[in-house]
Amino acid sequence: MSLWPRALSLRLALLFALVGVLLLGAIGFYLYQSLGREIAWRDDQALLGRLERMRTLLDDSASIEALRQRPQLYANMLGNRDSLLWIVSDGGQVLIEINPAGLAVPQLPRGPAVQLRDALAAEPARLAWLHVEHEGRGLTLIAGKLLAERSQMLAAYRLKLWLALAAGALLAFLLGWLVSLRGLRPLRELAARARAIDVQHLHLRLDEVGEVSELRSLSAALNQMLARLEDGFAQLSRFSEDLAHEMRTPLSNLMGHTQQTLRHPRAVEDYQNLLASNQEEYERLARMIDSMLFLARTEQPQASVKRETVDLHGLVEQLCEYFEGMAEERELQLVNRAEGTLQADQGLLRRALANLLANALRHAAPGSTVSIASQLRDGRLEVGVHNLGEPIGAEHLPRLFERFYRCDPARAQPGDSGGLGLAIVRSIMQLHGGSVRVESGEQGTRFILVFPLAERVNHKR
Amino acid sequence: MRILVVEDELKTADYLRKGLGESGYLVEVALNGLDGLHLIQEGEFDLIILDVMLPGLDGWQLLQVIRRRLPTPVLFLTARDAVEDRVKGLELGADDYLVKPFSYAELLARVRTLLRRGPPREVEQFRVADLELDLLRRRVTRAGERVSLTNKEFALLHLLLSREGEVLSRAYIASQVWQMNFDSDTNVVDVAIRRLRAKIDDPYPLKLIHTVRGMGYVLEVQP
Repeated sequence: MSLWPRALSLRLALLFALVGVLLLGAIGFYLYQSLGREIAWRDDQALLGRLERMRTLLDDSASIEALRQRPQLYANMLGNRDSLLWIVSDGGQVLIEINPAGLAVPQLPRGPAVQLRDALAAEPARLAWLHVEHEGRGLTLIAGKLLAERSQMLAAYRLKLWLALAAGALLAFLLGWLVSLRGLRPLRELAARARAIDVQHLHLRLDEVGEVSELRSLSAALNQMLARLEDGFAQLSRFSEDLAHEMRTPLSNLMGHTQQTLRHPRAVEDYQNLLASNQEEYERLARMIDSMLFLARTEQPQASVKRETVDLHGLVEQLCEYFEGMAEERELQLVNRAEGTLQADQGLLRRALANLLANALRHAAPGSTVSIASQLRDGRLEVGVHNLGEPIGAEHLPRLFERFYRCDPARAQPGDSGGLGLAIVRSIMQLHGGSVRVESGEQGTRFILVFPLAERVNHKR
Repeated sequence: MRILVVEDELKTADYLRKGLGESGYLVEVALNGLDGLHLIQEGEFDLIILDVMLPGLDGWQLLQVIRRRLPTPVLFLTARDAVEDRVKGLELGADDYLVKPFSYAELLARVRTLLRRGPPREVEQFRVADLELDLLRRRVTRAGERVSLTNKEFALLHLLLSREGEVLSRAYIASQVWQMNFDSDTNVVDVAIRRLRAKIDDPYPLKLIHTVRGMGYVLEVQP
C-alpha cells in the first residue's frame, strides 16, 4: 500500500481515473464486440448472396464450360482481391477458381443446404458453400472472403479504443484531481483554522457554519474535544498556581521566622524553638509533596490497583481503633456499621476511609456520633461516613474534591491535609472504577464511596 | 562501629556525619562513587549508607561491587520512590532503603536495626526504672501498681519499651501500632501518647516518655 498516495485529492483523482477506465473500457468492449459481429454478419450475407448469384449464373448459362470461357461475368461480380470463388465438381476437379491469395482448395463436407465456416488455412478466411446438381453432375459452389481486411479494420478500431481509453483515464484523473482539490477546500480551511489553535488560543473554536454536513459533525466533535482540553488545561494551570501558592506559605513562614531569629543573638531555647517550628513546616511540605506524588501516580493512565478481598468490617474496625483517641478527646462516638467484603486495594481503601474519617472527626459536632455504614444499592456497594455538624454550603459541594479546595480559604488549619485529602479519596475511587459523592444538610454530612457491581461485591446482611 | 556514607550532596553528607557521630558511630564520608569504592577497598565498615544518584560511579554500580565481595549491610537512599527503584535496590542486595526526604529519627532507627547483630532477642519482660511490662501476662505496673491499658495503648508502650532510648517518629509509630503505612495528617499518635502518659507518667514524679520536638517520642530515663 506504500504506492497509494498520501494526499486525499490524489487518491480521489486515481479513483476517478479507475472508474473512468472501467466505464470506458466496458463501453468500448461492448462497441467493439457489436461491430465485429455486425461486420461478420454482413460478410456472411454477402457470401450467401454471391452463392445465390453464382447459382443463378449457372442456371442461366448453357454449360459450365461456357461460364468458364467468360470469366469477366463473375470476375466483375467479385470485384476485389479478397474474394475467393471455387466451383468444384464432385470428382474434385476445380472448374472455376478465383483465388488471388493462392489458397488450397478447401475440402468441405457436402450438405443439402448452404453452410458457413471459418477456414483455418495459411490465411484465415470465411467460406460459404452450397452443393447443387447441374447438368446431371454434382457441383460444390464455394464463395469465400479473406479475413485479413476485416482484422485490419478491427485492429485499427481497437487501437482507437485504447487511445480513447487512455485519454479518458487521463482526463478523468485530471478532472477528478481538480474536483477533489476544490471539494476538499473546506477541509483545508478547517486545518488552517485548527493550526491557529495553540496553548495560548485554546478558546478559539472551529467554524461550525460550513455547508458541508460531514465536516460540520467533524468540527463539532473537534470543538467538543477542544472544550474538554481547555477545561483540563485550565484546571492544570490553576492547579500549578495553587501548588505554588501552597508551597509559598510554609516557605515564607520558614524564611521569615529564621531571618527574624538570626537578627540578634538569642538564647539556646529560642534557637531550639525555631528549629522545631521549622521542622513542622518541613513536614507539612514533605506531606504535601507526598500527596502530590501520590495523586500524580494514581492519575497516570497506566496506574492500576492490586485487588484483594477486603473484609470491610475488619478494616473499619482497625480505623476506629486508630481514631479512637482522637474521637474520645472530642467526645465523639465512632460507630462501625460496615459489613461484607469487596475486591479492592486494602492499603488504598484504608487511606481513603482514613481521610474521610479524619475529616468527619474534625467537623463533627461535639458529643455526636460519627458512623461508618455500608449498604447495597442498585447493585453497587456504598460505604458512607457520616457526621453531624454544620452543613457544607451548597456552593462548595461540587468543588470539594478538587485539589487544594477549601471551603474557607482563610482557615487552613495546621492539622489539615493541605486541601488534598479529598482529592486523594477521589483518585483512589477512580482507580477502583468507582466514585465518591457527598451529601450535606441538616441531617449532617455524609461522604459516600461507591464501588461498582463489577467489583464482584459480596455483601452479606 | 564504622559507617561509610557515600553521598554527593554536601549538606546531607555533613549532617549525616555529625548526627551519626553524635550517636557514637565512626563515620567516613565519600562524596562520589569512586571515592566510595576506594574507601570500601581500603577499610572495613559495619554499614554503608549509599545514595543511588552519584556522579561517576552510581549507587547501583557501587552496590554491585560491594555485593560481589562483602557482606556489609547496605542502606540506600533515593529521592525516587517509584516501586521499580526500591525493588531494584533490594534485588541488587541492599538491606534497606529510605526515600528522601526522610526523618532523621527514621534513619537512626534503621541504622540501629541493621547494626544489631543476629536475630533480635525475644524479650518478654521489660523494665525501665519502676515501669514494668510483662508481655505474656499482658501486665503493666508502675511503681508496683497495676496500670490497666487498652490493647493499642499496650502495643504502643511495648513498642516504646522495646526501642528504649530510640526516638521513634510519628509515622513509624503509626505504622507499627495501627498499620497505617501512609503519612497521616492527623494528631492521632500525639493523642495516643497523651493518653498513655496520663496512665503511666502523669501520676508519678519520674517521667519516662519524652517528646523530642520535630522528631517524635522516646522512652528513657532522662537525668
